[in-house]
Amino acid sequence: MKRSIPAMEHLTLTRRELLHRCGMGFGALILGELLRTAGYVDVAQAADSASRHNPLAPRQPHFPGKAKRVIHLFMNGGPSHIDTFDPKPKLAEYAGKTLPFENLKTERKTGAAFPSPFKFQRYGQSGIEVSELFHHTAQCIDDICVIRSMHADVPNHEPSLLLMNCGEARQIRPSVGSWVVYGLGTENQNLPGFIAMCPGGYPIQESQNWQAGFLPGVYQGTYIDTKHTAIERLIENIKNHHLPLRQQRRQLDLLRQMNEEYQKRRQEDAQLEARLQSFELAFRMQMEASDAFDISKEPQAIRDMYGPGTQARQLLIARRLIERGVRFVQVWHGEGQPWDSHDDLEVNHRRLAQQCDRAIGALLRDLKQRGLLDETLVIWGGEFGRTPTVELPQPGANAGKVNGRDHNHWGFTMWLAGGGVKGGYVHGATDEFGFQAVENKVHVHDLHATILHLLGFDHEKFTYRYAGRDFRLTDVHGRVVKEILA
Amino acid sequence: MGSRLVWSLLTFIGWSVAAVGQDPAAKPSFVPEALEHFEKHVRPVLVEQCHQCHGPKQQKASLRLDSRAAILKGSDSQLIVVPGQPEKSLLVEAIKQTGELKMPPKSRLSDEEIAAIEQWVRDGLPWPDEAPPSDVEAARKHWAFQPVRSVQPPILQSASTLEPLFGNPIDAFILARLETEGLKPAPVADRRTLIRRLYFDLIGLPPPPEEVAAFVEDESADAYERLVDRLLASPHFGERWGRHWLDVARYANERGYVGVNVDRTYPFAYAYRDWVIRAFNEDRPYKDFILLQLAADQIVTGPNKHDLAAMGFLTVGRRFINNQQEIIDDRLDVTFRGFQGLTISCARCHDHKYDPIPSRDYYSLYGVFASSREPEELPVLEPVARGPQTEAFERELRRLEEEKARFERENEAMKRERPREFSEKIKPFENRIKQLHAQHPGAPPRGMVLLDAPKPMEPRVFVRGNARNPGPTVPRQFLEILSDGERKPFTKGSGRLEMAQAIASEANPLTARVFVNRVWGHLFGRGLVATPSDFGTRGEPPTHPELLDYLASCFMEDGWSTKRLIRLLVLSRTYQQSCEGYPDGYRKDPENRLLSRMNRRRLQLEPMRDAMLAVGGDLDHSFGGQAVDFLKNPQSKRRTIYGFIDRQNLPGMYRIFDFASPDTHSPKRYETTVPQQALFLMNSPFAVERARKFAARLDAEELTEPHLRIRRLYQLAYGRDPRPDEVDTALAFLETAEVEREATQLSPWEQYAQVLLMSNEFVFVE
Repeated sequence: MKRSIPAMEHLTLTRRELLHRCGMGFGALILGELLRTAGYVDVAQAADSASRHNPLAPRQPHFPGKAKRVIHLFMNGGPSHIDTFDPKPKLAEYAGKTLPFENLKTERKTGAAFPSPFKFQRYGQSGIEVSELFHHTAQCIDDICVIRSMHADVPNHEPSLLLMNCGEARQIRPSVGSWVVYGLGTENQNLPGFIAMCPGGYPIQESQNWQAGFLPGVYQGTYIDTKHTAIERLIENIKNHHLPLRQQRRQLDLLRQMNEEYQKRRQEDAQLEARLQSFELAFRMQMEASDAFDISKEPQAIRDMYGPGTQARQLLIARRLIERGVRFVQVWHGEGQPWDSHDDLEVNHRRLAQQCDRAIGALLRDLKQRGLLDETLVIWGGEFGRTPTVELPQPGANAGKVNGRDHNHWGFTMWLAGGGVKGGYVHGATDEFGFQAVENKVHVHDLHATILHLLGFDHEKFTYRYAGRDFRLTDVHGRVVKEILA
Repeated sequence: MGSRLVWSLLTFIGWSVAAVGQDPAAKPSFVPEALEHFEKHVRPVLVEQCHQCHGPKQQKASLRLDSRAAILKGSDSQLIVVPGQPEKSLLVEAIKQTGELKMPPKSRLSDEEIAAIEQWVRDGLPWPDEAPPSDVEAARKHWAFQPVRSVQPPILQSASTLEPLFGNPIDAFILARLETEGLKPAPVADRRTLIRRLYFDLIGLPPPPEEVAAFVEDESADAYERLVDRLLASPHFGERWGRHWLDVARYANERGYVGVNVDRTYPFAYAYRDWVIRAFNEDRPYKDFILLQLAADQIVTGPNKHDLAAMGFLTVGRRFINNQQEIIDDRLDVTFRGFQGLTISCARCHDHKYDPIPSRDYYSLYGVFASSREPEELPVLEPVARGPQTEAFERELRRLEEEKARFERENEAMKRERPREFSEKIKPFENRIKQLHAQHPGAPPRGMVLLDAPKPMEPRVFVRGNARNPGPTVPRQFLEILSDGERKPFTKGSGRLEMAQAIASEANPLTARVFVNRVWGHLFGRGLVATPSDFGTRGEPPTHPELLDYLASCFMEDGWSTKRLIRLLVLSRTYQQSCEGYPDGYRKDPENRLLSRMNRRRLQLEPMRDAMLAVGGDLDHSFGGQAVDFLKNPQSKRRTIYGFIDRQNLPGMYRIFDFASPDTHSPKRYETTVPQQALFLMNSPFAVERARKFAARLDAEELTEPHLRIRRLYQLAYGRDPRPDEVDTALAFLETAEVEREATQLSPWEQYAQVLLMSNEFVFVE
């Protein structure tokens, strides 16, 4: 669409006017291409260079991707797959008994089989079984692709969080969201391109989870503590407490006049223009961002659909952001590692699911009714799953209770929806007890390769030169899981 | 399947065409797809499954599977492959385990792996051209590994037609190149521009209006030179140039994520920062600067221990949840990219793909750091400089120690009978003392040193970077590519000092080149080598190779003096030219690689924030000391270099203004323009306060007449007087603002002052 022939008026603009219109590079790169073909080489160069100065200008991927945006619902701590999306009736048979094979090694010692205390039921046309914990989400199961054969490398939170977010467990690497915004830019220059929301404080590993790594700092996720509701507590410097907008507008008008005068006396320099434009964008951002985070602007029916509570609020904000063209939104369940149910699994998992299930279901329906789901990839999951066997009591670890599950990187579930994935589809399987992925295994690197593919990138060619090497999100790994593509 | 077929057909044709009429053992060239297949699906299998017995360490049956030639040669008794014919190749039979020979002996490769190898044999054993690791001679041909040449400045054809050259040799190199391209340099910039440029470049602060006026009026021939010398002698020089070095050193005040509820701060990181600033101020020879940062523990012997602080260079890095291999990798990386422009971390898992750095060399140096350790208690940097807080600290320390002693006295029985309980109970007393040492402003600084371990370790290569898979033992020694003649293993302790000496050496082709290039980049906006920390074969070649060598050799001959190097550069006409060049230059060289004009540069975070404080007259000029947390003290008037840098959760101000990431060594800063930067200047409490102070200064100076007030603001912010139209614009703004005064808490003058601080003219240096 953006590749249509430019109107003649574009070609007769002066260079300065042109740059002015391109602003911070809305399509400036493409315009540059067109102008070059039309013989306007120096103007084209100037446009390119204005957009080069805006690292967030929208860009085209390697090939047209079905997904344009991503919402990653991060159930940090590790939700149990056996209790949510991967039913294992066989466990009931072995309840309280040891499994017929030796328990796989996880972080802590686990004992006998621990059947899920939750009921499973078939949902939708596809009849995929989901537990009562995600009853609301399951209403949308025909739009969901459940991957039951995920696996990671180690059973510990820190490396697994980094692996899931950055594709590498220890070293400094950019997060998925940073890569995506680096590759695609973002469609709304009045909002950050990558937003990470987590109520109450940071998850484990803190802002490393949305780090830009060796990419420029502007690609890092902007962290928002959704515990707060006032806009100035959500986005830094979004409001001037001393100056009403009208007066600030006058200030910026003077600034523009002075900056233009300064430019007029000098040879063309794209960085001057880019900086001039950045104030205009910032001014609009103040309104746009406040608006995006203000869910009171939603009709009551929509707010009711998402339900009460912080999870509902942040998911509704996520939709509002996506709708406004934010490229990547990561929604964390909460500070620390809420889903880490080493004990009292039944109580804790029920409580956690109650906090978010209804809102997740609402989000999927809401995206769909607005026609956004096709272009929005929704990802749900934790950094790993949990063991089908009960965690044995350990002093200081699980309060001596024998009613929880340990971390499990051998096999777990994640699901994707929208953005070009096959709905109502189950991919892969764990063994009959849910301990280990055995069928059509999908490693975290494979998931990353697939996410990039859905967005239009060949993960092997999507690289960044740093410290003498061309780095990839998937390093030397990764396989696109073609089976789940719609 | 279809595409796979086409692909194999292509690779087959690709190979067969190339191989026609050649000796089968000679190496044909392969199509990229075939090589990719090898790299992705075959090489990893060979490395992981075969090399342990048939590789560099062991050669069972005299067979090696780590080079194409070796595989073609076969084992002691027979050939193992027939290129193009997997069905006739013993290798394939062995891995299929259909015949007598079954490999690997205790397991079987997966079907996919077997198919991949079969395909690879069918393709004729595609293997990329690799400089065999021993072929250092070939690799030495890369320009950066050749000795620094002694070069004479070129003689110019048209020199006489240009303005006087000031007799500076740099100009000859630059002009000669421009001449060949048919370009001419921009005119020399005016005095106001020059003094602003020099102030920001040398000390990172704006020139006071009085200085600008004096310099503009000074008609003596050496006015510029004297200004340069004065700024080089300023104590603020080190604050500017020290900060450049802290980017290299990935300086931060905390260790990154090491767990929940664990204290992460480096209480004495500031001692390293202050040492760096002093080293620049005192113009310590760069050679010593290197030696001390890598091995001060083995150099500092006298009673003056201050140089021990230098080793923060190695120890202020991220701690990767205390993973030892990552910590060492970070130290190797900061040392070698920082001082040598070499990306040796690439050789951690395999031989460097592009530069002559075998994995063995990585582990030779790994052994140096693995043979070093950090002491439990960091040494006090004696003699302690007593400040106003020193006594308060000592009093507090005495009090806490007495408290602890009293507890011990009163619980002697417990100490005897229940030692475990006692040690639990005494801990809070000890912790309070520890904390006092770390946090009290009067506590003496300590050096974040490394020491040699009592017994150095013998490093082993970790195969594919995996510590659980140790390969052959290697000696601790320097890089082969940078060693002349026979390389000798290090003999003194860890070898860290010997490593440092090999770096800080006139014979090292990289050390001086890398440093002068960094200095050049800070002054001109771009290095002669545009990849300042990668001088390897994949880095950018220098735009002016002779100039780079000229500068490197001058630098070494001139006692490795940073100040004299900077002096030489800023006295050049090239440095003094205007940012406004001739049209030809923009057309032929839009990136200005040839310097037909000066580059306009945006102020980085530190000089921008410092300048905002300075123009309001409230910059705190004091030197050094414990870091200030700008999150907790957003209105702190300390220079930005003294801020607390939280690498784990870097505050927004640093991030949005392209601060060098403290996660790893930073070769150069990114330059981005995003609206968050504008929001900071429009709305942050810091920016609003600066606007207020800037305007308040006018009242403090008792300037009442609007014209004079506007002029003063212009002089402070831009170093020039306003034009009449600018005064009119300002007056018009002030008038309207006055009408709407009630609606706001900022006075018209404060609003106006803020606009000046946001303007392009304020943040760009010409």
